[in-house]
Amino acid sequence: MSTAQSLPALAADFPAPQIAYSALSPMVAVFGAALIGVLVEAFAPRRARAGLQLAVALLGLLGGLLAVGLLAGTREVTAVGAVAVDGPALFVQGTVLALGVAAMLLLAERSLESGGGAIVAQAATVPGSADERALVGTDHLQTEVFPLAMLAIGGMLLFPASNDLLLMFVALEVLSLPLYLMCGLARRRRLLSQEAAVKYFLLGAFSSAFFLYGLALLYGYAGTVSLPGIAAATQVTASNDGLLYTGLGLLTVGLLFKISAVPFHSWTPDVYQGAPTPVTALMATGTKVAAFGALLRVYYVAFGAIRWDWRPLLWVIAIATMAVGALLAITQRDVKRMLAYSSVAHAGFILTGVVAATRAGLAGSLFYLLAYGFTTLAAFGILTLVRDADGEATDLSSWAGLGRRSPMVAGAFAILLLALAGIPLTSGFTGKFAVFSAAADAGAAGLVVVAVVCSAIAAFFYVRVIVLMFFNEPAADGPTVAIPGAFTSAALALGVAVTVVLGVFPSPLLKLADQAALFIR
Amino acid sequence: MTTKDVVFGALGLLACCSGVLVVTARNVIHAALWLVVTLGALAACYLLLTADFVAWVQVLIYAGAIVVLLLFAAMLTRAPVGPGQDLDSGNRPAAALVAGGVGVTLVTLLVQAFRSAYVDLDRVAGTGAGRPIGDALFRSYVLPFEIASVLLLAALVGAIVLTRPEIGRR
Amino acid sequence: MSVTASSALLVQGAGPQYVNATGLFTLSWVLIALPLLSAAVLLLTGRRANAWGHLLGCASVLCSFVLGLAMLFAMLGRSGPDRLIDQHLFSWIPAGSFQVEAGLLLDPLSMTFVLLITGVGGMIHIYSIGYMAHDPERRRFFGELNLFVAAMLLLVLGDSFLTLYVGWEGVGLASYLLIGFWSYKPTAATAAKKAFLVNRVGDVGLSLAIMLMFATFGTTSFAGVFSGADRMMAATATGIGLLLLLGACGKSAQFPLQSWLLDAMEGPTPVSALIHAATMVTAGVYLIARSNPIFDVSPNARLGVTIVGAVTLLFGATIGCAYDDIKKVLASSTMSQVGYMILAVGIGPGVYALGIVQLVCHGFFKATMFLGAGSVMHATKDNVNMRHYGGLRRLMPITFLTFTAGYLAIIGFPFFSGFYSKDKIIEAAFDKGGTSGLVLGSAALLGAGVTAYYMTRLMAMTFFGRPRWEEGVTPNESPRSMTMPMIVLGIGAVFAGALLTFVGDGLAGFLTPSLGPAEKGSPPVISASGQTLLILAVATVGAVIAYLQFGRRSVPDTARQDVPVVVTAARQALYGDAVNEAVFMRPGQYTTRALVFFDNFGVDGAVRGLAALVGGSSGRLRRVQTGFVRSYALLMFGGAALVVIGLTLAYAI
Repeated sequence: MSTAQSLPALAADFPAPQIAYSALSPMVAVFGAALIGVLVEAFAPRRARAGLQLAVALLGLLGGLLAVGLLAGTREVTAVGAVAVDGPALFVQGTVLALGVAAMLLLAERSLESGGGAIVAQAATVPGSADERALVGTDHLQTEVFPLAMLAIGGMLLFPASNDLLLMFVALEVLSLPLYLMCGLARRRRLLSQEAAVKYFLLGAFSSAFFLYGLALLYGYAGTVSLPGIAAATQVTASNDGLLYTGLGLLTVGLLFKISAVPFHSWTPDVYQGAPTPVTALMATGTKVAAFGALLRVYYVAFGAIRWDWRPLLWVIAIATMAVGALLAITQRDVKRMLAYSSVAHAGFILTGVVAATRAGLAGSLFYLLAYGFTTLAAFGILTLVRDADGEATDLSSWAGLGRRSPMVAGAFAILLLALAGIPLTSGFTGKFAVFSAAADAGAAGLVVVAVVCSAIAAFFYVRVIVLMFFNEPAADGPTVAIPGAFTSAALALGVAVTVVLGVFPSPLLKLADQAALFIR
Repeated sequence: MTTKDVVFGALGLLACCSGVLVVTARNVIHAALWLVVTLGALAACYLLLTADFVAWVQVLIYAGAIVVLLLFAAMLTRAPVGPGQDLDSGNRPAAALVAGGVGVTLVTLLVQAFRSAYVDLDRVAGTGAGRPIGDALFRSYVLPFEIASVLLLAALVGAIVLTRPEIGRR
Repeated sequence: MSVTASSALLVQGAGPQYVNATGLFTLSWVLIALPLLSAAVLLLTGRRANAWGHLLGCASVLCSFVLGLAMLFAMLGRSGPDRLIDQHLFSWIPAGSFQVEAGLLLDPLSMTFVLLITGVGGMIHIYSIGYMAHDPERRRFFGELNLFVAAMLLLVLGDSFLTLYVGWEGVGLASYLLIGFWSYKPTAATAAKKAFLVNRVGDVGLSLAIMLMFATFGTTSFAGVFSGADRMMAATATGIGLLLLLGACGKSAQFPLQSWLLDAMEGPTPVSALIHAATMVTAGVYLIARSNPIFDVSPNARLGVTIVGAVTLLFGATIGCAYDDIKKVLASSTMSQVGYMILAVGIGPGVYALGIVQLVCHGFFKATMFLGAGSVMHATKDNVNMRHYGGLRRLMPITFLTFTAGYLAIIGFPFFSGFYSKDKIIEAAFDKGGTSGLVLGSAALLGAGVTAYYMTRLMAMTFFGRPRWEEGVTPNESPRSMTMPMIVLGIGAVFAGALLTFVGDGLAGFLTPSLGPAEKGSPPVISASGQTLLILAVATVGAVIAYLQFGRRSVPDTARQDVPVVVTAARQALYGDAVNEAVFMRPGQYTTRALVFFDNFGVDGAVRGLAALVGGSSGRLRRVQTGFVRSYALLMFGGAALVVIGLTLAYAI
C-alpha cells in the first residue's frame, strides 16, 4: 500500500465513472430545483418566499417533465450500472412529475386558511401554546415544505429507475425522510399530525431496516447488489437458496410497506388522516406510484427467473390487501380514512397486475398507476374544500346533502369515486380491466375472481358516499364548501379531466403504456 | 486454532453479552454505555478481519457520534436518568421470543450459507482498507454516495424546520 | 362502440349489410357534437352565459335538426340497401383481442329518431325560452336539455349495443338532473331519485342482455349480433329478448317499471314534454325495434313484449281516468300510448314500422298537449288541478285550438294523425289471429275507448264549463315564444299521420331497409273498414260518457264521493286505479325503497341486511387498528415472518 503517491498520480490512476447526465436530467432538474429552493429559503425575504418557492418548484417539475418527454424511447443504463433509464422508469417518472405538479399546486393553495394554506405557520411552536394561537390566523407559512417536497419527489424519480439495490435504498430514504417531516406540518390538529409523523417515521425506519437486511442477504447470495447481477445469479447458482429467499422476503417487506400492502398497511390510515391533506395526496399517489415502479423493477428484472416462487406469495398478499382494504373502508366514518383504506385496496388491485409477470401485466400496472394517481390526488384535493370551523370536515355524516349545496364539487367528487369504484367510462374501469385481463391471461383467474368480488365490495362504499351526497338532506350545521382558489381548481381540473379522458379515450395512453412496458435488463 | 481465532471468539462473546446488557440494564445511561462496549467489540472484530477502515469508521461513527448523541438526548430531555422500572413492559417474554427467534433464524441461515466458504485473510488483506473502499465509493457507487448527500440535506432542512422558530418573528 | 373479436364490419352473414359513410354522412358525429358542445359551454361557463345561453341551446339543436334534414334528403337519394350507413369513428379500447370500436349507424330508423328528437326537441327548446324566462337557473336548464338531446342522439345513432348503452345511461343521467331541476322542492328531489333508481332496474336488464350477447356472439355491434341472430339457440334469443324488454320497460315506463313516470311530472313542464312526448320513453320502443332480428327468431320474447304492451296500455289509460292533475293525466296517457307502440313492435315482423309511425305521431300530439298543459299552468299560476280550471277556451284560444288538435289526434278522430297510427295497431293486433290476437286486439280496442273517455274528461274540465279558478287567477294567452311551438306541433298533430302514410311509400316503406317490409298477417276476422268503424264506435262511447259526466254537469271543486250510477265505467276505472295502486305501484315503490335504503348507511353508519356479514368482518378487522405503533410494528414483523416462510415454502414445494 503506497501512501506516498502524489495527487495527480492518484487522479491518473483513478478513471472517472461514466455518467450520462442527459439520462438523469429529470432527476437533475428536480434536485436542482430543490437546492435552489433551499437557497431561496436562506436568502429571499419572507414575504416573497412562498411565491418564489412555488415558481422554482413548478419550473423544476415542468423541466423534469420536459426532460422525460425528450428522453422518451431511451433505453440506457448509466452511472456505472446504478440507474436504468427505460420505458417503465420514464413512464413512472412522468407520472410522478405530473402528480407532483398537481400536489404542489394543492400545497401552494393559500385561499383556504385565512391566507395560510394547509401547512403550519411555524412548525417549531408547541401545539396549544400562545405562540401557536397567535400564528394560526396569520398568513405565515413554513415555506421549507416546498424544497422538502421537491426532495421527496426527486427520491420518487430515482426509486423506480434504480438498477441496483444500494441506490434503491438511498432513493427510498430520500423519498421517505422529507415525507416523514411533512406529515407533521398540518396547520390544524397539530398533535394528530405530529403523532402521524412519528408513527410514519418509526414504522418507516423499521421497514427500511427490513429492506436493508434483505439487501445484505442478497449481496451475500449474489455477491453483487445490481439487479441484473442478481438475476444472473438466480439463473446459475443453485446453492444458498436460503439467502436468496430470505433476502427477497425482507426486501419485499420494505417495498410492500411503501405501497401499503396488507399486512404492512397499518400505518396508512393513521398517517393519511393526520398529515396535511396536500401531503397526504402526494403520499397516496407519488409514493405509491414510485414504489410500484421499484417493486415492478425488482420483481421483473432481478427475480423474473424465479417468478414461480414469488407469484404465490404476491397472490396471497394481493388478495389480503384487496379484501382488508375494501372491508375496512366500509366501516370508516371519516372520508379521509376511507380514502386511505381505498388506497390500500387499490394497491391490491395493482398487485394483480404485478402477479401477471407478463408484459401486459406491466403495461396494465403502469396504466393503472397513472389513472389511480390522478383520481386519488383530485379526491384528496376535494377534501381540502369541504370545511367547517375546525378546518376540514372529514366526518362522513357532515357530507350529507353536499350535492344540493355544491353540485359542482359534489359532482366532481362523484366522478372521482366512480372512477375509484371502477365504473365504465372512467379511468378506473380501464385500469382495472387492463390489470385483471393481464392477470387472467397469465393464469391467475382465481385471483381475478377475488379481485372482482373485492371491487364490488369497494364499489359499495364509494357509491354510499355518492348516495349520501346527493340523496340525503343536508345537515343543518353542515360544513361549507370553500370556493377553490386558482391553484386548487387547476389541480382538481387536471385530476378530473384525466379521470374522464382516460375513461372515454384510453387508447392513446394504453398504447403508450404498452410501448413503455419493457425493462432494460 | 490460532491466537486470532481465540481473540475473535472472545470479542464475539463480549459483543453478545454486552448486547444483552444493553437491553436489560435498568438505567438508560448504563444501557448507552454498554452499547459502546458492544460496538467497540464489533469494531475489534472487523480489525481482526483486516477491515481496518471499516473498524475505525465503526468506532468513529457508532461508538463515537451515535452513542454520544444518545447520551446527549438522554441528558437534555427530561427523561429519568436514574434506574427505572418503566424501561420494561410486560411483554418481555414475547420480546425475548421474537429476538431469540430472529437470532436463531439468521444464524442458521448464515451458517448454512457460508458453511463451506473459506477466505484466506492474508490474501484478502487490504480489501477493507481505505483505498479499495474509496475506489468503490467513488466509482461503482458514486451515485448512491452523491444522493446520500441529498438525504443529509433533507434531514438538515427538516431539523431546522422542526426546531428553529423563525428569527425576527413578531 | 362495438366490441368485436375481429372487426365489426367484416362479419358476414344473414344480417343487414352496412355501407361505409361517405360525403355528408361522415358528419353524422356532428349531430351529437353540437348539443353536447353547447351543453358543455352552458354548464361550464357559469353566469357569464346567462344572457345568451338559451339562444345557444336552441341554436345547437336546430342546427342538428337542419343537418339531419340535409342527411334525410341525401338518404332519400340513395336506393334502399344503401341507406344503411355506418361510420367508424375510432378504436375505443384496443386491448389485445378485446377490441372496442366506436361508430355511428345512420339508417332510416335512426334517421327518423334523429329528426324527431331534434325537431320536437328544438320546438320544446324554443318554448322553454318563454316558460323558463323567470327562472334564475335558465342557463343550466338549457345546458341539461342539450345534454339530454345529445345523449338521446347517441342512443339512436350508436352502431352497437354498447354505444347505445352509453347514450342510454346518459339519458338516464340527464333525466335525473332535469326532473330534479327544482331540487329545492323535496318532491322534485324524491321524484328524480325514484326515476333514477327505477331506471337502474331496467338498465341492469339491458346490461345483462349486452353481456349475454357478447358471450354469445363475441361482439356487441349491430352488424355482428344481427348477422348471427338466426343461428343462435332459441333459449338464448328468448333470454336476450326478455332482458332487452326489461331494459325497455325501465326507460319507457312500461309495466312493471312504470312507477317513476307519474312522479317525474315534478320537473318543469318542458321536461315532461321532452321526456314523455319525444324522447326518453320512446327509447324502449327504439331498442326493441332496433333489435328486431333477435325478436324475429324468438316468438316467446315477442309474446312477452305484447303482453307488457297490452297490460300497460290499459293500465295507463285506467290511471288517466282517475287523476285531477293535468300533467299526471297526460303522463298516464303517455304510458298508455307507449304501450300501443310496444304492443306493435311485439307483434313482430311486418308490424315494427307501425310502432314507429305511432311513435312519431305521438311525438307530435303529445308534445302539443304537454306544451298546452304548460301554457294553461302558466296562465293559472302553476296550478295543475283540473278542478280549478274550466272555461279557458275563450281566454286562451291558441292553446285551446292546438290542444284540440292533439286531442282529436290521440282519440283517433278520422284523418287526424292518431287515426293512421293507433288504429292501425289495433287492426294489426286483431290481424295477428288466434286467441292471442283476439285478446290483444280487444285490449287495444278497450284502451281506445278509455283513452277517449279520459281525454274528453280532460278537455271538458279544462276548457269548457264555468270557470273554477282560484282567487287572484286571471288567465290569459301565453307569450309568442310558447304559442309558436304549440302551433307548429299542433299542425304536426293534425297532418303527421296522413303525411307519414300517404307521401311516397310512407314512413313504413322508408323504414323497410331497417325493419323489414311491412306485411299483412292472417286474413282479418272483420274487414278493415268494419274494424275502423268499430274502433270509432268504441271511442265515441268513451267520449260521450265523459261528456255526459263532465261536460253537461258542473264539476265540483273536490272529487265527489257519491258517484252517480250513470258513470259506472268511470267508477270501475277508479276502483281499477286503487287496485293498481295496491297491487302494482306499491311493490314498485317497495322495490324503490329497497334501493333507497342505501341512503341510511351514511347517516347512521349502520350496515344492515346483506351487508351485515361484510360489515361484521370489517368491524373485527378494525380492532387490529389500535393506533399504537408497537402493535403496528408487531403486525409488520409477523407479516415479514410470514412472507419469508411463505417464500421458502413456495420454493421448497
